[in-house]
Amino acid sequence: MKNKTIFRVHPTINFARFGTSDDYILSPEDSAGMPQEGTDTTGGLPIKKGTEKTTITSKDLRDEDGNLKKQAARFRIYAYDHNGKASYPEGGGIEVTIGTKLPDGRVVKDLVWSSHLANKKATAYNVVNNKGILAYADNQVPQLRNPETHGDIDSAYRLNRLMIDPGPRTISALSKESAKFDDCTIPTCLNDKGEIEKLPAYPVRFPADSNEELFKPNGPLDTLGEILTDDKGRLLVLPSTGNAVGQYDEYGVPIQMTGDLNNVGWFDSAADGPVSVTIQFTDGSSEEAFGAWVVCGDPAYAPQIRNVVSVWDDVYDTFVRELDLQPELFRQTGESENGDDGEGVYRLDYLPNFTNDIKPTFIACTLQRWTANLPEMALRAHTAVDAISENDDPNRTIMAALNFLRNPNNEETNIGAPLMPLSLGAAGTSFMTVTKTQYFFLEQWSKKRFTKGKETKLGPGELLDMASLANCLGGRYVPGIEVSYTVRCKDMYIQDWKTSGAGPFRIKHFPLKYENLDKSTPFLKSGWIPLHDMTDGIEPGDISKFMATPWQTDYNSCSIHQTAINTDGVNKSNGAETTLYWSWPSQRPDAVYVAEEVVNNVLPKQKWSIRGPGTYAVNPAQAATFQDPLDAVNEWHKIGIIIQGTNVDIEGREFSPELYLEVQGKLTNPGDATDPVAEWPFNANPPKKKSKKDCPF
Amino acid sequence: MKLTQNDWNLGHLKVHLQRAVDLEFWTIPFYMSAMYSIKDKSSEPYQLIRTIVNQEMLHLQCASNIANAYGLSPSIDAPVYEGTTIPHLDFSLDNKEVIKPYLPYTAEIGPLDLKHINAMCLIEIPEYDTQEKVPLFSNVEEYGSIGAFYEALRLGASHLKKDIKGGVRQVDFFSAFYRNMPKMKITEPKDAGFNQVDLLIDLITEQGEGQSKVNHTIPETFQNTADDTEPEDDHFEKFNEIKNSQPFPETFQVKKVSDYTVEDKELEAILIEQFTELRNTLQQLFSGENPENFFAIMASVGGAIRNCWEHGVTPKYI
Repeated sequence: MKNKTIFRVHPTINFARFGTSDDYILSPEDSAGMPQEGTDTTGGLPIKKGTEKTTITSKDLRDEDGNLKKQAARFRIYAYDHNGKASYPEGGGIEVTIGTKLPDGRVVKDLVWSSHLANKKATAYNVVNNKGILAYADNQVPQLRNPETHGDIDSAYRLNRLMIDPGPRTISALSKESAKFDDCTIPTCLNDKGEIEKLPAYPVRFPADSNEELFKPNGPLDTLGEILTDDKGRLLVLPSTGNAVGQYDEYGVPIQMTGDLNNVGWFDSAADGPVSVTIQFTDGSSEEAFGAWVVCGDPAYAPQIRNVVSVWDDVYDTFVRELDLQPELFRQTGESENGDDGEGVYRLDYLPNFTNDIKPTFIACTLQRWTANLPEMALRAHTAVDAISENDDPNRTIMAALNFLRNPNNEETNIGAPLMPLSLGAAGTSFMTVTKTQYFFLEQWSKKRFTKGKETKLGPGELLDMASLANCLGGRYVPGIEVSYTVRCKDMYIQDWKTSGAGPFRIKHFPLKYENLDKSTPFLKSGWIPLHDMTDGIEPGDISKFMATPWQTDYNSCSIHQTAINTDGVNKSNGAETTLYWSWPSQRPDAVYVAEEVVNNVLPKQKWSIRGPGTYAVNPAQAATFQDPLDAVNEWHKIGIIIQGTNVDIEGREFSPELYLEVQGKLTNPGDATDPVAEWPFNANPPKKKSKKDCPF
Repeated sequence: MKLTQNDWNLGHLKVHLQRAVDLEFWTIPFYMSAMYSIKDKSSEPYQLIRTIVNQEMLHLQCASNIANAYGLSPSIDAPVYEGTTIPHLDFSLDNKEVIKPYLPYTAEIGPLDLKHINAMCLIEIPEYDTQEKVPLFSNVEEYGSIGAFYEALRLGASHLKKDIKGGVRQVDFFSAFYRNMPKMKITEPKDAGFNQVDLLIDLITEQGEGQSKVNHTIPETFQNTADDTEPEDDHFEKFNEIKNSQPFPETFQVKKVSDYTVEDKELEAILIEQFTELRNTLQQLFSGENPENFFAIMASVGGAIRNCWEHGVTPKYI
């Protein structure tokens, strides 16, 4: 087969993050916590606006008025020489920007980018804490959010009132255009003639359209973000300010937020949607690239603190085990090597690379200390894990026999310490496990079946795919921070990634034809749901709709919990029912060290990340949170950010690269008294005794 | 030889304290070996033994803290596992009817089986005879049970309150696991210090070895508040639960020594090497140092034991 030049947008999934400032920095393009060549600064830090890869310092996080800067998701295009069957890793790829001359002689004249953001949270189904994705199993669905708004999931009545849909926006990089996803900009798309066409009949929907009055504690919800390009024609997607609005009840009182996941009558400005680009050449021809997806959501409060299980680990695991990513690693069908049931088996002759496949888990382990109140014994043990090098005999290390690692292939999710990770698990389980692929790699290492040295098989685009996902919370999607459990569903992705040329990890866009538009009829439908054999692709808003509404309530509450929160209120762990564990310690910092309080690189006492007035807890289970959910909606942007000492910029001070410290916090001033951070293990108040029934039955 | 209060001196007490440390330390590899021989970490016996091993480590810390309060930095000597000899315990001195259900037993390292669970029960067997006043002996081998031994230790310690110094080489890694327990260090001298000594002996005997009692419920003060499957049950109760819930969970196949491969021998050697290092770091720890690799080597020993069993190798410590 003759080779053909194909184009792909990378990262395949990228993340824009809320900020209250009009100014922005760029989302990171390397992986959290990973060593970077030529510098002590580890990966995961955002990038300064207008630069290729200059990492921010603490002074770049807020604008001069103290507002938190947004993080823009930057998308690039890479060209590949494709022979009709993709593999992974594929390597190669050259970046395509305005003016790029391809090997076949074509010169890029313009890049016409399109995106369509939407927020379907209020129209969607409830997040079910203790069921997770299983709430969609067996043709079932959870209860609808906002059930008092009549209609089934696809009724126009509900969608008109509950969906936020500004419609699509299309911009020319050559013309240096930008477009806001707001309520007063006319939607645009690229028509068949290759022209940007206005869509005045598009049914734009915002909460103010169907609510005479809204409670707007931090401003009107009238935009979901913006798109623009940089000087090379790459796309930048900016999120909204992350604000939220609520409806008033019949008595004219803002509807009370009653929980962390499914608040009735509330809307937030999170969003997600497809990213497409048409490459126009000077010879008049054009080509469409395989598109990507953008998710606009929570800020990264600890961007370099690597999750032990990241979204990358989950997506990679899904592609390995279900979408034939690397047949040399995992054989999906046929005879098994070890008596497996034939659904698939890891190949024992596959040798993971220590640096790429083993070390990231060890690094993640030791970084947890900067955002969680770990006891001294854990700190020292984690340090020993991180110290393991490729030249060490696994049998002589603290990880010998993987003795302290929870095995995802066994029934070990209810066993707490000393098995790791010790953070809370997915719905229905007490504790988290690494993915099966992570575990296989570690098993191979423990049996001395691994390669040493640096192996760089990924191309620059593939590296961006990995980095983007590696910087997000995986494992515990209850419901998650950036994405939820659906990210593990193969139905969401382009499954013929090998033959189509799309490459792996690419979300399948539901084909949207902006024709026959009617202002009174919602354009988008309820969209994709998991476990219902839906493989047509997903619509704008189909990722963020599985997240909490408003987002701040879940971020706030998911600090520390008893294990029973995952298991129907019943303690199934092997410890006390009141023992508290961390929910999302890497992505939602619990206990931190404040940079201003560090003297001579000697660490001060830890403080809760969320602290100060309005955070004092009667029950330790509610520590480190705003006690009133409305405070979470209003104050989230004042929470400090944890970054490495190398990039902490405080006049006259120098910090060790070993330290990761909170900077730019606005909730308290240094020295203010706050709720003390207890040494782990610590306990919630005992459960209240159930009231006794008066009747005998 | 029985000693009177007048005969009893600091030298005798230090010998007793060293023996307490020996005994607590001896149990740790013995119990850990049985625990790690169980394939399924989620099995109840595995989890019960885990909680006991943790408490034996706590007891080692308590015994060492008491020793340091009286001026003795204890020696962490290599434990010997041979035949039916459990250090400083002579079951022939016990009521035969009491020990009969726990025979035969072995003091050699091995997987969880009847002989090993019997040994564990015998070590933790409560001292039911509380009628006689506990005598002090010059020779620690003369105590018939750990219960008698610890009561003698308590009595002997009380005679020498004046020698207690607070805050000397005290260690505490467990307080957060026992939220209802006062300080686990001896911080005060003399009378106030003895109250703390008395409390730590209570902790040891209530949780495990030697308490004279018919009720095996641990007082709330001494119950683990974090990670115990059955925090109210003492060691004897937990071991009996395992003994009485046979069949035992599946354990790893054990090879004959003659069948060991080169790799097997290497794993055996690694365990010996790491256990030796652990003893050294414990020695440093209870001598006022803060060895950097203490937790790492402690955890590594656990991994090395598991690694041995997974390869059919019976753990060896010396």
